[in-house]
Amino acid sequence: MIQVQNVIRNYKAGETVVKALKGVSLDIGDGEFLSIAGPSGSGKTTLLNLIGCIDALDGGEITIEGQPVSGMDKKTKTEFRRNNLGFIFQTYNLIPVLSAYENVSFVLSILNIPEKEIEERTMRILKEVGLEGMEHRRPDRLSGGQQQRIAIARALVKNPKIVLADEPTANLDSKTGEEILKLMKEMNRKYHTTFIFSTHDSMVMDYAARLVLLHDGQIVSDERR
Amino acid sequence: MRFIISLALKNLTRYKRRTIITAVAIAVGLMMYIVVDSILLGAEFESMRNLRWYETASARIMHPDYWEERLMRPLDISIDDPNTIVDALRKEGIAAAPRTMFSADLILYSDDFGEDGNMPVQVTAVDPELDNTVFRFEDTLIEGRFVESGTNELVIGSWFAEDIGAKVGYWVTLVTRGNGGFYEAMDMQIVGIVNCPNPNVNRTLLMVPIDTIGDYLAMEGAATEINIALPENAEIAEEVARIQQLIDPSGNDLLVVSWDDLARDYVALAEAKRGGTGMILFLVFIIAAVGISNTMLMAIYERIRELGMMRALGMNDRSIQLAFMVEAGGIGLIGSTIGVLLGIAINFYMVNVGIDFGLLMRDMDMGYRIQSSFRGTWSPSTIITAFFFGSILSMLVAWIPTRRALKMDIPSCLRHQ
Ligand SMILES: Nc1ncnc2c1ncn2[C@@H]1O[C@H](COP(=O)(O)OP(=O)(O)O)[C@@H](O)[C@H]1O
Ligand SMILES: [Mg+2]
Repeated sequence: MIQVQNVIRNYKAGETVVKALKGVSLDIGDGEFLSIAGPSGSGKTTLLNLIGCIDALDGGEITIEGQPVSGMDKKTKTEFRRNNLGFIFQTYNLIPVLSAYENVSFVLSILNIPEKEIEERTMRILKEVGLEGMEHRRPDRLSGGQQQRIAIARALVKNPKIVLADEPTANLDSKTGEEILKLMKEMNRKYHTTFIFSTHDSMVMDYAARLVLLHDGQIVSDERR
Repeated sequence: MRFIISLALKNLTRYKRRTIITAVAIAVGLMMYIVVDSILLGAEFESMRNLRWYETASARIMHPDYWEERLMRPLDISIDDPNTIVDALRKEGIAAAPRTMFSADLILYSDDFGEDGNMPVQVTAVDPELDNTVFRFEDTLIEGRFVESGTNELVIGSWFAEDIGAKVGYWVTLVTRGNGGFYEAMDMQIVGIVNCPNPNVNRTLLMVPIDTIGDYLAMEGAATEINIALPENAEIAEEVARIQQLIDPSGNDLLVVSWDDLARDYVALAEAKRGGTGMILFLVFIIAAVGISNTMLMAIYERIRELGMMRALGMNDRSIQLAFMVEAGGIGLIGSTIGVLLGIAINFYMVNVGIDFGLLMRDMDMGYRIQSSFRGTWSPSTIITAFFFGSILSMLVAWIPTRRALKMDIPSCLRHQ
């Protein structure tokens, strides 16, 4: 359960102040498949970063699983992300020197999970995202869609409560993008993981179970379908 | 932890070209350090030895006042009965030989030299029987023979001979003021030319028999100094103290001065030079340090987004710091290993063959008492220092840019192109 209450985020760009979020409030329940949509510059990334505990609030509060984010120090945030959050990025952000397997398994390594369990869980999730047999390939030998599948596996392998995806399909062609969305939705159903993803693509919005529209740092509509 | 190290090593092998270039830069730096240090140490060692063998001996006995006024070379402040002391020392197993040093004018005649000329010189009067038990001129004759007692014979340094066009058999005259205050003119015949490993000696040496000179200058058996040779591994300070005690009962009030005190002026020069070469070594290290810090800066800059991802996923700063330090340390280790191996290989050559600066030394007084080739020497501590310095410095140098990248906020890292 995530509660976003009257969140404000201002950026200083030289002399001027950009008001990226001007008081955003939003409740997100467990297991939702929610899209934050809006034109470029509307504040989607900013909102995701704040929920993802990698950016600091200028006003308001975000509470995740009962924990207020504003009170967390850097170390607590790092730990919180490590234990509870998964991330998917527009540019995949895989480690180029590691194989598909290693790109996923390291998430469990930093959680100090025993080697045997790491192997089991990594192999299972790679199979689920459709990368069976490609475990030892490096990202540069995989297509964009396959790379994003690794990223999805990496986000899900630790069974996080929440997965945040900032424009996960923006670098993919529409067909591959759709496949990725279908995979995300499938995982959302299967593991009951909350998915919050941003997009400015109407095709992607169609997949959302709930669509929150941002404009100029404010929510202009919030509909479930 | 295991993941961190394996990631670092994979990055190391992945960016092969960069790893190799940086490692080579470090290797070349360390190699230079090892070789330059070896040559300097070797040169210094040989230089000091040549100073002892041909100029200062291990220690010298003289009158305390003579020590004060040594630059004036006063003939009247002397050791009255040098032979008694020399004999006493030789009974103790200590090689000793008297010498008298004096300034003179050297007069050349057109008969032999083609034109007349004269120049100020320093003359060394030696005891032909004893001098080579202390100094090492024995094998340095390239022409003629040594001076004999009671004769008007003279031996000259090879470069000096070349400079004035002197040949064996030529006659010269030495003019100086004797002990009684009268000027004395001494006709001497050149009987030998020496070429020793000490360039200063080759450039200036004029050697005559001490008894002949004693007669001319009314020394009445006195000498200005007694030179002492000690074994190469002797504790000089202890020996000097022992000799001082040995000669004190003679009531002559004499002073024993060790060679490093005698060579003080020269040693100060060497120290200044060492400071200068220290600068060279420092520069070599700066180059290596800049090389690796640049590489790591590039490596980190290139991977800022990757870094942002790892931080977002909850990897702590310490682990990331460690990953980059292991990577840099790995490059440093490769570079240091290559550098040390190369340094050792080249040093083999430097120790066994050396480089020939003969022509350079001929025309230039560099202060080093080395004539032809500079030989290296083995210095294990330098090699070990170089190795650890190379590896550890690399790790430390990576620390700073990593620190800076970790100060960036995560969204900026993720946005980074
Ligand atoms: N670090 C920053 N410094 C200054 N302005 C920023 C920064 N990050 C975002 N902004 C501004 O905040 C607004 C919202 O940005 P963002 O959340 O990235 O929008 P979106 O993801 O919807 O495109 C934009 O006007 C953007 O220019
Ligand atoms: Mg964005």
